[in-house]
Amino acid sequence: MFEKLDPRSPTPLYAQIAERLRTAIVTRELTPAEALPSVRQLAATLRVNPATVVQAYRELEAEGFVEMRQGMGTYVREVSPGQRGAERERQATELVRRMLADAARLGLSVRDVTAAFERELGEQVR
Amino acid sequence: MSEYAVEIDHLTYRVKRAFTLEDLCLRIPAGSIYGFLGPNGSGKTTTIRLVLGLLRPAAGAISVLGHAIPAEAPRALKRIGYVPEAPHLDPTLSVSEAIWFHSRFYPSWDAAWAERLREAFELDPVRPFGRLSKGQKGKLMMLLALAQRPDLLVLDEPTDGLDPVVRRDMLGALLDYVAQHEATVFISSHLIHELERICDWVGVMDGGRLVADVGMERFKTGMKRLRVAHGPHDTAALPFRVLTRSPDNGSGTESWLVRDWAPEMASALAAAGGDLQQVIDLDLEEGFVELLRSFRGPAREPAHV
Amino acid sequence: MYRAILFQQWRWTRLVVVLGTLAAFAVPLFSLRGAAAVMDHGTAAGFLGDLQSWGIAYPTLAGALGVLMAVTLWAPDHRGRHVYALALPVPRWRYVTLRYLAGLTLLAAPAAGLALGAFLASATVSLPPGLHPYPLALSCRFALAVLVAFTLFFSISAGTARTAGVILGLAATLVVAQILLSAAGTDADILMPVLNGVLSPPGPFAVFTGRWMLVDV
Repeated sequence: MFEKLDPRSPTPLYAQIAERLRTAIVTRELTPAEALPSVRQLAATLRVNPATVVQAYRELEAEGFVEMRQGMGTYVREVSPGQRGAERERQATELVRRMLADAARLGLSVRDVTAAFERELGEQVR
Repeated sequence: MSEYAVEIDHLTYRVKRAFTLEDLCLRIPAGSIYGFLGPNGSGKTTTIRLVLGLLRPAAGAISVLGHAIPAEAPRALKRIGYVPEAPHLDPTLSVSEAIWFHSRFYPSWDAAWAERLREAFELDPVRPFGRLSKGQKGKLMMLLALAQRPDLLVLDEPTDGLDPVVRRDMLGALLDYVAQHEATVFISSHLIHELERICDWVGVMDGGRLVADVGMERFKTGMKRLRVAHGPHDTAALPFRVLTRSPDNGSGTESWLVRDWAPEMASALAAAGGDLQQVIDLDLEEGFVELLRSFRGPAREPAHV
Repeated sequence: MYRAILFQQWRWTRLVVVLGTLAAFAVPLFSLRGAAAVMDHGTAAGFLGDLQSWGIAYPTLAGALGVLMAVTLWAPDHRGRHVYALALPVPRWRYVTLRYLAGLTLLAAPAAGLALGAFLASATVSLPPGLHPYPLALSCRFALAVLVAFTLFFSISAGTARTAGVILGLAATLVVAQILLSAAGTDADILMPVLNGVLSPPGPFAVFTGRWMLVDV
């Protein structure tokens, strides 16, 4: 599940882990009441600092996606449609933001990008 | 319990003809994973040996887990798991004999876990230590350090030179232990990408001096390369530290290597007349290399640490 | 902890211990048998003379055991420059003591071997009239010689290679000085007083000198 963890990326590791879990929860890859791997297990599997895993879980708890039960583990919570929609919107925004940043770096104009976007969409429909 | 697992104050030690550890001060917070970086010959192994009481300092004080070193070294060593740079076990002892031998010296030894680790590491119990492969030796040393259930783990390049599978096994076991025991880890390594994943603190040694001692995130995110036009000559007043600056070929801009950068500081740069054109992220390895290079280049602005 | 060190030390020195025990057991038997064979053609004086020629074997064996045990015991530490030993959670003095005791324990085997051989030889070989066997005295003397040799070389080896070098260097200097002094034609003698002090009672090496006789008048 966490193959693309990149310690070199400017995004902190805990954020990458939280992101992946958030996506899994929203797309129902992880179902409500399912237990997330223990901090110990995940830290050992991913070979990251346990504190990093704890931070990721805490962030997800603060956002309402999981529930950390003292001494028992971390469990997925039911995701409301509102949450799901908000998450989709957030991810789409992130995607577009990244794309626009890349385009700027390459020196492409907004018109170049939208033209390519519409071409590709057309291809996909076919 | 002190909040620091290791406290080094004004440590001085002379390594004949090589370099001198002068006035070294270092603190490792309890429960943290502290990564120790530095080029070969910068004093990392010497510092580790001094911390363990294997060498006697010329001046300064060392305290490990509340014990003064080297005065109370044996007592401290009972709670320290040490993986040395070169595995130095008796080559005639077999794996299980070596495990038994060590178990006699540490009261906190967990024999059941030692056995589980031995199986997980796939170490043949009757094989003599001298006939193990490099990776197997490394795994055994890690096993011996962990089975002791230490409060502090001191690892001197434990996975350097080993294949990725072995490294994964060793680090997995280490982190598994740290997650349940809240031990402190002091690990030196050249495998910066591994340290990047697991350390929350990083210390950089160069020529016997500790040139950086900061939180991992801050070190990574704070080191940046800036592309600046009309950069001011005097950078002392800026909130970030400029390590080096050099002109970009022909484009009229300069490439600045900076430390302690935060995005808000762009306004400070603008106020000083500089035009910030680009901020380039550096990962830990690049940051480390650039930091060291900044100390060596003669044609650059003197580096302030 | 002692068991662990004893076990490890046994591993390193088992060849020395086994061969030494066999040799210590064999020497009294062979010496008496050999002297008894001579006896068939000669007198009690010839018997004693033959036995005496075997005498040199005892201090040699004792010295060799002491040296070899001490050296093989400390060699791994010296090779690894003491890092391993120092990294163990044991104070240095305690570690050294444990090694010493383990060495003594292992050396008990050849000492016992000699005693066994001496008693066996005394019991099975018929002696010429007027001569008596002293297996106990011989065994005790051998054990003491082994102890002295081991303790000396253990102490030298326990230090750093530098200390050992210093001590041996001192000895060599004495010898060289003596040679030079003699060559210069003087009668000055520094070596003999030193040797006398050390080799004759109550010097520590007195146990090695003199006749080693399993059987005597």
